[in-house]
Amino acid sequence: MLAWIRALASRTRASLSRRQLDQEFERELDAHLEMLADENVRRGMSPEQARRAARIRLGGRAQLQETNRELHGLPALETFFQDTRYAFRMLRKNPGFTAVAVLTLALGIGANTAIFSVVYAMLLKPLPYSHPEQLLTVFEAQPQAGVNATGWSYANFAELREQNRIFSDMAGSQQHQLTLTGRGEPSVVNTSVVTPELFSVFGQRPILGRPFYPEDGKPGAPAAVILSENLWRGSFGADPNVIGSSINLDKRSFTIVGVMPAVFRFPILTASEQLWIPLAQDPFFGSWMDRRGGHWLQVTGRLKPGVSMTQAQAELEAIGARLAREFPAENDGWTIRFMPLKQKIVGNVKSALLVLMGAVALVLLIACANIANLLLTRATSRAREIAVRTALGAGRSRIVRQLLRETLVLGLLGGLAGIALAYLGVQGLTALMPQDLPQVNAIRVDNFVLGFALLLSAVASCAFGLAPALFAANSNLQSSLGEGGARSGESGNRRRARSVLAAGEIALAMVLLVAAGLLVRSFSKLMAVNPGFDAQHVVQADISLPRFQYSMPQQWAAFSKELLTRLQSEPGMRDTAVVVPRPMTDGFVNLGFDIVGNPPVSAGASRTANYVSVSPDYFRVMEIPLLAGRLFGPHDVAASPRVSLISEAMARIYFPNQNPLGKQIVFGFPPDIGAAREIVGVVGDVRDVALEQDPQAMMYVPYAQAPLGDANVVVRSGLSAASVASTIRRDVQQIDKDLPVTDVAMMKDTIDGTVAQPKFRTFLLGLFAAIALVLAATGIFGVISYSVSRRTNEIGIRVALGASRNTILGMVLRETLVMTWAGLVLGLPSALAASHLLGHMLFNVSANDPATLATVAFTLALIAVIAGYIPARRATRVDPMVALRYE
Amino acid sequence: MAGDKSEILQGTLDLMVLKTLESMGPLHGYGIARRIEQVSEEALQINQGTIYASLVRLMQRGWISGAWGTSDHNRRAKFYSITRAGRKQLHTEAENWERISAVIGRVLRSAERG
Repeated sequence: MLAWIRALASRTRASLSRRQLDQEFERELDAHLEMLADENVRRGMSPEQARRAARIRLGGRAQLQETNRELHGLPALETFFQDTRYAFRMLRKNPGFTAVAVLTLALGIGANTAIFSVVYAMLLKPLPYSHPEQLLTVFEAQPQAGVNATGWSYANFAELREQNRIFSDMAGSQQHQLTLTGRGEPSVVNTSVVTPELFSVFGQRPILGRPFYPEDGKPGAPAAVILSENLWRGSFGADPNVIGSSINLDKRSFTIVGVMPAVFRFPILTASEQLWIPLAQDPFFGSWMDRRGGHWLQVTGRLKPGVSMTQAQAELEAIGARLAREFPAENDGWTIRFMPLKQKIVGNVKSALLVLMGAVALVLLIACANIANLLLTRATSRAREIAVRTALGAGRSRIVRQLLRETLVLGLLGGLAGIALAYLGVQGLTALMPQDLPQVNAIRVDNFVLGFALLLSAVASCAFGLAPALFAANSNLQSSLGEGGARSGESGNRRRARSVLAAGEIALAMVLLVAAGLLVRSFSKLMAVNPGFDAQHVVQADISLPRFQYSMPQQWAAFSKELLTRLQSEPGMRDTAVVVPRPMTDGFVNLGFDIVGNPPVSAGASRTANYVSVSPDYFRVMEIPLLAGRLFGPHDVAASPRVSLISEAMARIYFPNQNPLGKQIVFGFPPDIGAAREIVGVVGDVRDVALEQDPQAMMYVPYAQAPLGDANVVVRSGLSAASVASTIRRDVQQIDKDLPVTDVAMMKDTIDGTVAQPKFRTFLLGLFAAIALVLAATGIFGVISYSVSRRTNEIGIRVALGASRNTILGMVLRETLVMTWAGLVLGLPSALAASHLLGHMLFNVSANDPATLATVAFTLALIAVIAGYIPARRATRVDPMVALRYE
Repeated sequence: MAGDKSEILQGTLDLMVLKTLESMGPLHGYGIARRIEQVSEEALQINQGTIYASLVRLMQRGWISGAWGTSDHNRRAKFYSITRAGRKQLHTEAENWERISAVIGRVLRSAERG
């Protein structure tokens, strides 16, 4: 033990003074040689002979020196540094190889890191609330009607909050936009309408002022508002004295009581400027607080510690049953459901993210295969160098270690470059990311993501470094050192390994290309869908009417009539109309209705249709065709008989084999609950919810008879969106200078916005597939060119013996085709398996769409043949005379 | 190393060096190598350089010590001498060696007869 410690101490000392140690040993060896030579001279040799004999007798000086160092040093540390230094030197000596390998790896690591940073922020990282695992979203559901998860009425929520024994607290929330005035330009601000418990449920303290107290939530309390940190910094100059001052929302005064930190994002899940007001103070939802029917309040609860999901389930079922018993008119058929808050937030992006993560993992695998191929190629040409090092006394394990170190250094360089790429990638991703993706945690390359990237590059370098290192260690010393050994030292194994790697790359690329191809096809089908209206040259604008000033439906009707009259007289405005809610933008209002003269339907099988309030020219603006009857006209006003138009789908579903014209329908919606409306016409179907959703039954009513809150304007005009927008602004402000006009957009762009998520993932997957294709092509090109250069001699002999160019071309191309074929055979089942994971992301395309599979296989084969053809062409130009002298 | 020469086991060489230093007193690397060759009546033809690995190992364990001095022919050379710990180690090792070689010898002889 003592001896061992002493040895370690001595080694440590020695490794700190390497040069001195080397010199001393040199002198010792010199002395030894001289004494040996002296003796040889005494034995009668010439001084020349004596020195030579002495050198032989002593043995290889370099080996001795190496052994001496190894004995003296701390071997692990010592060789680590030495190998690393050596690795850098080798990489510097082959800048071309190094650049290609590092770049390839950087692409793989960069793509993985960027996507992982999104996955980490959205899926892995806990929600930034205290004990997020206790937070549940609670829904009302009506299973028979196919309603799986919807919001609450405030009255039902209040009962639930009172009666349950499993939640420590619960809060309700909704969100919309209000007009902020009294601070410069009128602006529209994202407003969360909440019950006062929201902040305590989430365990979040304000950075300034106070949260809401229960009394803030009572009707008639002074109106209080809490700002988000971003709004406070952006619009209030981070004024520390802002507490107690007041702002106007929809022209009503609110007192600022607090500021929430920027990390708190709920219920609006983005970093936007936003504010919170108590539900009771909201001009729109506040008036719904005392009505039990309706499903609009999102409810979040915090489970008491120790309450299990099973207990929660039982308790909520019991409460749901009680509510249905006590208030059957509103609650019959309804039950209560819940899910973890996190699942609700990430639910719809999870599968797309996992598919993307899988895609980048495949890209990295291909990159690794490519680098392994490069290394194998290089190991063959380095066989001689390695043989020399073995002869000089390097052990086999030392050689393997050395080669692994080289790949590790390569891996880390690639990793660093990849991290740099990832930073750019994350910037690009967040810039391009659809607005409607939840971003509760900021997406960035943080320490955890960095750790992931480094680990990934270490694992990757082991993956691509191991095979070449093992092959190198097994090389035959004798043949490698022999004349021309550098050329004939390639074993069949190694060549096979390279071909297998290239075939594997093709298979992996095929998986990615099929997935990307399916998404592209699906997306192009989605874009080719006819929405039922013509969005070209239609500009839409959102004019929200403050509820306190415009509280009466008559005021809404008067405002919109005035606005349309002004707009219609402006030059260049072909047709103008008002519509609420706007298709594809505002969501939809689904209402139950009865048909006069028909028996009422049984519970659970209700008649419903989407309800839209429009001014007469709406159908002309949108170019929705009239199929029967008439459109609305200027004579359909509040005083005239109630009328409605229905869509083709509604006619087909609810009036099969009948003429719906002249029939009357009744629905319970303000302002005229229970009034019968005569169907005066049938218009074409419209996809109002989303492009991928089939047209639903729709009913239209004249805005003049049934005005709805906002006056959203649609205009068909040949003018640019900007000039239409400024015309609308001017006209609106002439009527009321405090009304903001927001959300002005071409209808076409709005529709594009609804497909932003599929577009985004299609773009990303397409990008990764393209990278994979390029990498795989490079891989084939590399393997075939190397094979050609090694077979130069053989090809020369063949040409000399009379082989034609075509024979040579065919010979080389056959190698390519075998590899490609193997890759495709391997790739097809994998691609089929993988494409089923795309599942619901595909629109009108089957997961094993033969056209996509065929196109991908053909493209891959074509690219492979081109990649193989270039070196094959070079092979045909081999001059036999040069080739035979080549070795 | 060529096949017909006996390969010297690492531990064996260490033992021989220790023994040489014990019986000869301080000696430089060349002297130790020569002495081992002479004593073995040239049966052991070593690459004299290998002696140095042995010397480093022994130094590190504290069984020998080394210092620069002048040889008989007036050359600067590093001299090694056995330490007290070295002597103790030598005796243990030598006893071990004798016991093992006696056993091996018996085994080999009985194997021949059998």
